[in-house]
Amino acid sequence: MINRLIWSVIIFSALIALCLLPQDKPELTPHQRFTKITNTGQALLPWQGPWACVLDSQNGLLWEVKTDNESVHDGYWTYSWFDGQKGKSNFGDCYFEPQRCDTADLIRHTNQQNLCGQSNWRLPSATELISLVQAPSSPSQPYIATDYFVHIKRGDYWSSEHDIPLPTKYRAKGLGATAINFHFGKSYTLPYRNAAFVMLVADIPTANTHPQLSRRATIKQHKQE
Amino acid sequence: MDRQTFITFHILAIIVVIGSIITGLRIALISQDWMSPISILLPQGQMHVWHLGFGIVLSLIIACYLFYSFTSPFRSVQSKYHKFINYLGYISLPLVSASGWLIWADLYADVSRTIHQFAMWAMCVYLVFHAWIYIIQNGRRVFSILIPKRATLRHLSFVFGLGALSLSGLLLLKSTTHQLNVLTIDDATFIEIDGKADEVAWQNARPISVMTIGGANFNQGATEVTVKALANKYESYFLISWQDETKSTNHLPLLKTAQGWKVQENGFYNFDERTFYEDKFAVMLSDGCEIAGDKTLHLGDNPINNKPKNWHGKGYHASLDGKTRDLWHWKAVRTNDMYLADDNFIGPPAPHLSGKRRYTAGYQADGKESGAYVMNWQWYTPKNVIPKRLPNNLDIYQQHRDSVLPWFGSSPYRESDDSYPLGTFLSSVLYRSNRFEGDRADVRARGEWKDGQWMLELVRKHNTQSKYDVALQTGTCMWVSAFDHAQIAHTRHIKAIKLRYAL
Repeated sequence: MINRLIWSVIIFSALIALCLLPQDKPELTPHQRFTKITNTGQALLPWQGPWACVLDSQNGLLWEVKTDNESVHDGYWTYSWFDGQKGKSNFGDCYFEPQRCDTADLIRHTNQQNLCGQSNWRLPSATELISLVQAPSSPSQPYIATDYFVHIKRGDYWSSEHDIPLPTKYRAKGLGATAINFHFGKSYTLPYRNAAFVMLVADIPTANTHPQLSRRATIKQHKQE
Repeated sequence: MDRQTFITFHILAIIVVIGSIITGLRIALISQDWMSPISILLPQGQMHVWHLGFGIVLSLIIACYLFYSFTSPFRSVQSKYHKFINYLGYISLPLVSASGWLIWADLYADVSRTIHQFAMWAMCVYLVFHAWIYIIQNGRRVFSILIPKRATLRHLSFVFGLGALSLSGLLLLKSTTHQLNVLTIDDATFIEIDGKADEVAWQNARPISVMTIGGANFNQGATEVTVKALANKYESYFLISWQDETKSTNHLPLLKTAQGWKVQENGFYNFDERTFYEDKFAVMLSDGCEIAGDKTLHLGDNPINNKPKNWHGKGYHASLDGKTRDLWHWKAVRTNDMYLADDNFIGPPAPHLSGKRRYTAGYQADGKESGAYVMNWQWYTPKNVIPKRLPNNLDIYQQHRDSVLPWFGSSPYRESDDSYPLGTFLSSVLYRSNRFEGDRADVRARGEWKDGQWMLELVRKHNTQSKYDVALQTGTCMWVSAFDHAQIAHTRHIKAIKLRYAL
């Protein structure tokens, strides 16, 4: 009987100890492709913020992240397609230019800012942009990873592809540029004068001089978690 | 009753009592944080139907035992100790059963819930001092006493009969409902959605009252909800009132401290704020009427396979059967001035997004074309935040501290503009526009608080044609929940309210 008493005390104690063990919290799952990057170029964990750029390990690119703070990067601003020579200047809407806006304006301002430690910002190619398309996780969300790419509208985003003949209904406007529409996740050729949204990219060299933006460093950090 | 019949009863009772306790504790954990350490020992998932099933079997066993006790009682030789401790079982088992049925029937549910819990703890004490002492005294010999030696056809038919009766009872009872008759009004009758309900039509509508229980901050966690309904050819109107001693609109305010702006909170980090939060009310609609939210309630910290854990350990709402349940979520600060309820839905569990800390499984908002409220911080941390925007005129704004901050009455945050004195409060809610547009704006609503009572008027088209909405028609089932300055800790009731239209 003493043995049974001791055993029952042990079992009760074990149950109590099991209950008092610290219980697991939800676990962080690193994204296989994207990493949040701060304005100073520091890599963040998936639940950290705020972030100004997203590192795309698949394409070796850094993407500009849009905001809602009425800065140069506000997601509501629109731009006409213009590279300084071709296209249509100042046909989009923004607050940061005395006149209206075009894609060259955003590129110039972003490079001047040295956003995320980069000064080689450019328009993405259509292939790069369409590689971001993915089915939305909830109704009326854009076709993109909204947990990394915030303030993305369900509208057209300019790519660098240009000098493309327009479809019949716009034929009178001559040539245009390719835009990716994140409402449908498809690409369209639009007249340069169209006001569309823009998300810039910067190329990340494999051996990045910016220590915190090295892809290798980011991957290592994820493995340590 | 012969010994073998008693042993058959006894073994069934052991299974059913343990099943009732573990499913009941899981349900109780939704509103009783102090029990959270035992969560690791409890099952997860849809518990209410299991709990009802165990309750039915337990009630039938009690009834059979009482019948035998009066007709041919089982005589056994017991010590004085066990005879005495058995009285605890004789009291607690019928009490837990009777109070459980009262909760199921929504009769005195607030008092019954308290009795149910006391009786459950008494039953646990009984189990320990009855079973544990027998085990200490007899060791392995207990099993030879517990396990039937000769299962005769009579005993087997008894077990299967009880099982069949319980299963039939469960199938019958799990979809029983209250009924709300919807009064027909003509198309010319004007109902203003203002939370006042001063139209004559409301006086003619027949109310139904349901005691909802288990919420945070309400007196004993309970409040009685009264619902009336009207319908014309196109739309359904609901008038819902509930007791709430305080009007709570102090929604996660931002406080200026020496360390910067800080969100006033007490649980928001785990998505279970219960102090600095607005009052809310939720209405769920479904084509099905199964008790406790028509299979949408999954309890526990990780109740859905291959989905992330939740932060608060309570559970998730999701439709694992793939059907959509409609959810109207009225919020005293965030949507009341929009004259809307947030039109949400409960669908299949959404994909997990690695960049988002909070996962809500099947609970999601309908789509919208534009318009929204957003939180007035650039990035939330429990230590401090940087506001998104500052009011253009703080003096005017401070007079309405509990209200929302309009986008166009404010400017983007700049450190150079942040000269507010320590102790300044800022609203956490920013209106980008004065209402949603699109599917999410299908439910117009306005609530008014007066003399310790919220009165909420809601209206929606019978059929919005949205795949995220449930049509309002005869047979549609409704559940209601009140939130007293709580983020998720809402009251609830078991049986659905089934709508009955005369149209």
